[in-house]
Amino acid sequence: MENKEPLSPHIQIYRWHISSLVSITHRITGIINIIAVTLICLWASFLLFGESKYENIDIFFNSYFGKFIILGVTWSFLFQILSEIRHLIMDLGYGFEIRTTKITGLIVIFGSIILTITFYFIGKNFI
Amino acid sequence: MVQISLPENSKVKKGKYFEDKTGSKNLRKVNIYRWDPSTGENPRIDTYEVDMDNCPSKVLDILNKIKNELDPTIAYRRSCAHGVCGSCAMNMGGKNGLACTTPHADIKGDIDIYPLPHLKVKRDLIGDLDGLYKQYKSIEPWLKSNSKSDTTEIIQSKEDRKKLDGAYECIMCACCSTSCPSYWWNGDKYLGPAVLLQAYRWIVDSRDEEREARLKKVADELKLYRCHTILNCTSACPKGLNPAKAIAEIKKMLATASL
Repeated sequence: MENKEPLSPHIQIYRWHISSLVSITHRITGIINIIAVTLICLWASFLLFGESKYENIDIFFNSYFGKFIILGVTWSFLFQILSEIRHLIMDLGYGFEIRTTKITGLIVIFGSIILTITFYFIGKNFI
Repeated sequence: MVQISLPENSKVKKGKYFEDKTGSKNLRKVNIYRWDPSTGENPRIDTYEVDMDNCPSKVLDILNKIKNELDPTIAYRRSCAHGVCGSCAMNMGGKNGLACTTPHADIKGDIDIYPLPHLKVKRDLIGDLDGLYKQYKSIEPWLKSNSKSDTTEIIQSKEDRKKLDGAYECIMCACCSTSCPSYWWNGDKYLGPAVLLQAYRWIVDSRDEEREARLKKVADELKLYRCHTILNCTSACPKGLNPAKAIAEIKKMLATASL
């Protein structure tokens, strides 16, 4: 008889809402950010090995893949920051109405994308 | 623990197809989760073609129609049919709700009906809610007032009474708790939105004298803080209540109170 009763389907069938999407992305970007910070530390420590070694990193960052990584990490950081602000507001007890959560969720999603593009253009002008 | 895939005995197979015999032009396909405890087979999805010209507006009406006219073997809980008892809570079109208050016109495409998510299935659309009821009992959902006599009424101001609005209306249908991914993964320890909303209801009741003890009891990494504001609970609640906000209020009380 043990374990005879099946478990009803859960994540396979449950529809995604903006709030659940933001929540899971918050977690994923959190993990990405930890890895990214570690890599940034490694990047900084490459300075110790002199100019020729550092050039390799420069070449990598100027490749399409390198640029994709930079933009990806920028988005990941921005998403985390915006989503964290949303969480802080919620911790104060505000913004729990369904409509508000939808709006703040959309602000986090589109805000992070718009800010990433803005950062990209700011970076372009400085180079 | 997080387990995304279903166990082997819970994998859903394709089931029977019930073709329409009325010749109606206004048909909708209804896919329903079926599991018969007597066969030992895996759950299956049966598909029914339902004549919508002769069907009232709610999902429960479809189920009643199927049970009466197409397939009497289908099992589901229902009682009041007016969104008061909470018996017919199930997952329709990927969202939890009460079958008796969910219009089928709100569901686009084929109508998928499953039991409440991540429960042991007793049969067809009937999930096992024993765990949730035990957790409900654990928060001691009754008034605790030791000092006052049993025969005199306890006066409550209008303002204090108002604090219970949005909490006392809960019908314990379990739509919110079974919509919560945190509750799916940690349902054995995390109390879940339905029970925490009730915990909140007794914590804020001005007549209750065990406020501090109640707060201390839920102040637990697993019991309370597994809420990560995914907010599936609030969007699932068929009574329009806000369990997520109640949980946030408990967290706030714990952060500011010196226990």
